[in-house]
Amino acid sequence: MIPASLPPAVSRDLFRKWAGTPLTAFVSLVSAIIAGVVIWWVLDWIFLSAVSPLLPMDHCVDASGACWRFYVEKSRFMMFGTYPYAEHWRPALVSVLLLVLSVCVGLRITGRLRFLSPRVLAILWVGIVPVVFWIMGGGAGLVEVDMSRWNGMPVLLILSVIAIALAFPLGVALAVLRHQTRWPVLRRAAIVYIEGMRGFPMVTVLFVGVFVLPLTLPPGTRISPVMATLVALVFFHAAYFAEDVRGGLQSLSASQTEAAESLGFSSVQTLRLVVLPQALSRSLPALVNSVIGAYKDTSLVVVLGIHDLTSTARMAFSEPGWGQYALEAYALVGVWFLLSCAFLSWVGRELHRKQSTKSH
Amino acid sequence: MSNIKTLLSVAAAVTAVSVATPVFAGPVMDEIIANDSLVCLVSPTAPGFSVPDSTGIFQGFNADFCRMAAAAILGDAAKADIRGVGFSDSMKTIVAGEAHMGARSITKTGTRDADEGMAFVATNFFDGQGFMVSRSLGVTSATELNGASVCAEDGSTTLLNIADWFGAKNMNYRVENIADKTARLEAFFSGKCDVYASDVTALSADRQLAPTPSDFMILPEVISNEPLTLVARPDQAFEAALFWSFQVMLNADSYDITSSNIDGIVADIDNQPPAVQRMFGADGATTDMAAKLGLPTDWAYQVIKQVGSYGEVFDRHLGEATPFGLNRATTPNAHAADGGLMYPYPIR
Repeated sequence: MIPASLPPAVSRDLFRKWAGTPLTAFVSLVSAIIAGVVIWWVLDWIFLSAVSPLLPMDHCVDASGACWRFYVEKSRFMMFGTYPYAEHWRPALVSVLLLVLSVCVGLRITGRLRFLSPRVLAILWVGIVPVVFWIMGGGAGLVEVDMSRWNGMPVLLILSVIAIALAFPLGVALAVLRHQTRWPVLRRAAIVYIEGMRGFPMVTVLFVGVFVLPLTLPPGTRISPVMATLVALVFFHAAYFAEDVRGGLQSLSASQTEAAESLGFSSVQTLRLVVLPQALSRSLPALVNSVIGAYKDTSLVVVLGIHDLTSTARMAFSEPGWGQYALEAYALVGVWFLLSCAFLSWVGRELHRKQSTKSH
Repeated sequence: MSNIKTLLSVAAAVTAVSVATPVFAGPVMDEIIANDSLVCLVSPTAPGFSVPDSTGIFQGFNADFCRMAAAAILGDAAKADIRGVGFSDSMKTIVAGEAHMGARSITKTGTRDADEGMAFVATNFFDGQGFMVSRSLGVTSATELNGASVCAEDGSTTLLNIADWFGAKNMNYRVENIADKTARLEAFFSGKCDVYASDVTALSADRQLAPTPSDFMILPEVISNEPLTLVARPDQAFEAALFWSFQVMLNADSYDITSSNIDGIVADIDNQPPAVQRMFGADGATTDMAAKLGLPTDWAYQVIKQVGSYGEVFDRHLGEATPFGLNRATTPNAHAADGGLMYPYPIR
């Protein structure tokens, strides 16, 4: 258990904290200078030396700062890639749906949005997956769009958010199988699976998903790289989630189960009503850590030729004549990951804070 | 009763399909015409050959051969459904029947052609492996590269070709193996290795990524043969349509016919050379071919009007006015009359 953090220093202690001894004063000074230079450089690049979005591209050729016109021209491409231009509302809607639902889950587990019960959230998640695939892929009234045209933001979200959402129940099931003692064979199988999967690097699992999984299908059928990657990511993340949940299960005292059983609960009821709610709540901080890792690792799918946000950014400056705007393109990707990971780590900090107050 | 009804409706549907499609076209051709769309695979990021523009539509040399096929078969270049797909996946997609053709710089090799799921149709670009060096090295020929350090992709045929070539000339070299392309180029531009080896067209695209591209040059030696070829799903009529559309583009070059002057040529068709009359005249050889292959009557005109001649497409995407600055006459892709390999077959 992580001990509760000390209360934050009040302002009159600040001087002593930052410059109490010559060494801390020196370190503070050097850090301040470096921070100042970096902040100045960033401000200069974003505003002072930048070229206004109202000016045409020609003005950007000799500019040392950001070329804002690049974003006017290319941000829509970076978001949605080669998805048919007239149908861009569909990936936009999918992105908004997935983001809103993810943020709702994040806020709910930090104790906000109490009106959303976990049951409602679970139903929404189960419902949203086919809806997302329908909106993106078409059919039943919408123009069909091949998966090779699913690029940019929606692919990033499908491969991170949906993969995590699908891996979570699988991870819980694996953790329970590993924790129980009634079926030793299943327990062994879960151990082999979890430890095996955690022994492979993620890139290996992705390559297996994209290059080996299609070989196991009947000849003539083809699974698109996006689907193959989604399957591989679900199986990969599930092993890590299982370990996080197992930590929660093991921290529960055996008397919880015994008490439930003596009250006449069946083993399923014991699990569902007594053990899992407590175990999951205890493993939430660890789960959030795994989610942050899983989310950031999603960009690795670039090596498989799947065009998520990082890859469409690269395509945006691959067009002849746009080669010098790589920094602009990657800056947008960086800002996106900074914001989304900041939200996730905020959720993690909130959970830590709540747990440490709870244990007092 | 319902069984008989189903049977009857199936029979009716089968008859309808067989009546609606011309009997002479093959299954792939039928599918393209029935869908009114031609699925064509390109590389997702190959500057000059296929890169999406700001609206997500693929532009480039290879993408225009997808448009050529759509213009010839469907009469509208915009009906090409051009998709960016990775190399190995593209061949699988064609074999699985989920795309009609590929224009993505696939080298025609014996074992690939032996695969029954793919048909190599027409070589639209002759490439070969070459070397890029820094101008400051003062080298003008690859034969002066004895003892050089070479940056090349680990595990590729590039390294095998280099070994063959340097070995045959009894020259020494040292390989810098850097797997990541960006890191490899960075090492070359910063002088960590003397020579950067890859396909010549890839070299001219990569040269554009240098801080000052003019500091680097591509040596004249080409040490391997890479015939980059259009791939089709096997179908005799479809393959013929692709092959002869490509020949129309080459023949147009012979008579300096481009998308901008084709209308004038057609308006004045009676005063044109016989070969041009056979291509674009109302009762020319192409009209006869159209009837046999199931193409629109004016398919040859549409190819030139909507896409252009071969030289026009080459210059538009790779020529001297582009960042790649290739002079077609100095490449193997020059017209046969200029000593190149682009040899127009007779259309009659």
